[in-house]
Amino acid sequence: MKKIIYISISVFLLCSCTTQKKLYSWNKYQSTSYNYLKNNDDKSTEELMKTYKLIIEKQTGTRGVVPPGIYADYGFLLLKANKTSEGKEMLQKEIELYPESKIFIDKILKKIER
Amino acid sequence: MKKDIILLAVIAVVLTSCSTTSTTLKTVAYKGMYDEKPLSILLMPPINNTTAVDAKEYFHSTLNVPLANAGYYVIPPLLSMEILKKESAYDAEMFLKAPLNKFGEIFGADLVMFTIINKWNKSYGNVSVGVEYILKSTKTNEIVYTRKGTVNYNTSASASGGGLIGALVSVAATTINTAATKYIDVARACNGYALSDLPVGKYAPVNPKESEEFAGKNDFNVSLNSKSDY
Repeated sequence: MKKIIYISISVFLLCSCTTQKKLYSWNKYQSTSYNYLKNNDDKSTEELMKTYKLIIEKQTGTRGVVPPGIYADYGFLLLKANKTSEGKEMLQKEIELYPESKIFIDKILKKIER
Repeated sequence: MKKDIILLAVIAVVLTSCSTTSTTLKTVAYKGMYDEKPLSILLMPPINNTTAVDAKEYFHSTLNVPLANAGYYVIPPLLSMEILKKESAYDAEMFLKAPLNKFGEIFGADLVMFTIINKWNKSYGNVSVGVEYILKSTKTNEIVYTRKGTVNYNTSASASGGGLIGALVSVAATTINTAATKYIDVARACNGYALSDLPVGKYAPVNPKESEEFAGKNDFNVSLNSKSDY
């Protein structure tokens, strides 16, 4: 009987060490963004864009929304690839989802207009 | 009786493995965070004081995830990096002791995050990393969160698995891992561990017990591996 109590205490303590489900899912963000920062070539850009797309389309985090910065950075890569309207649309989506980004993103949008 | 002692010992081990906290409450240790309730964080490119050329990118690519997962808004890392480069503000060291108000005006950042890599020593199956994190307010220029320490990261793919066969399997599995993936994991774990003490931000569920929680030691020394949940 005592043993059961001890074991259940241990199990409880162990569980309390682990964390719950995360706010966002990131797909392969960390490795693909590393590759992009490091190599900055067509292949790494393409892979990172694919990752952004997957994070946006298949979000499984507890908030159920796209994580901060993803729409905007995806938009940035689209703009660099001369997909201007798609890129601008992504920047707008960042502002809609995260209004605190407006102060910065608006400056970028203005730069594009010029 | 003997069994009870063993079980108690197990519980003690479990408990100590959890206790890496200080005796200061989070509300006291991170008072600036509670006073200002910051939301948006601008990442500065990590400052690399080591000879490991890739260390900067390992850290840079893995900083936003733990901050966002803690409930903060992280200013888009690539877009902000591009602007920092254009404005010749890419060298983070210049701003460590400089006023940060401009970053608030341009990026809408409440906080600026500095990361300083002081050590990146590789030996077989292990990387010893010395790293410092500083979050400063763009309004007051005060440090609102800082932690510094050493992470000893076991890079063997399988941390468990004993015996000779286990050891052989481990060696094989380790060589299969590409170096980059492995070292991204090291940086991810360092960032995750050091930032896990942050009070929850706006987008994370309120933690009702936070006001009673003790802050982690701000000078830490931990051993982590791929199974660590950071």
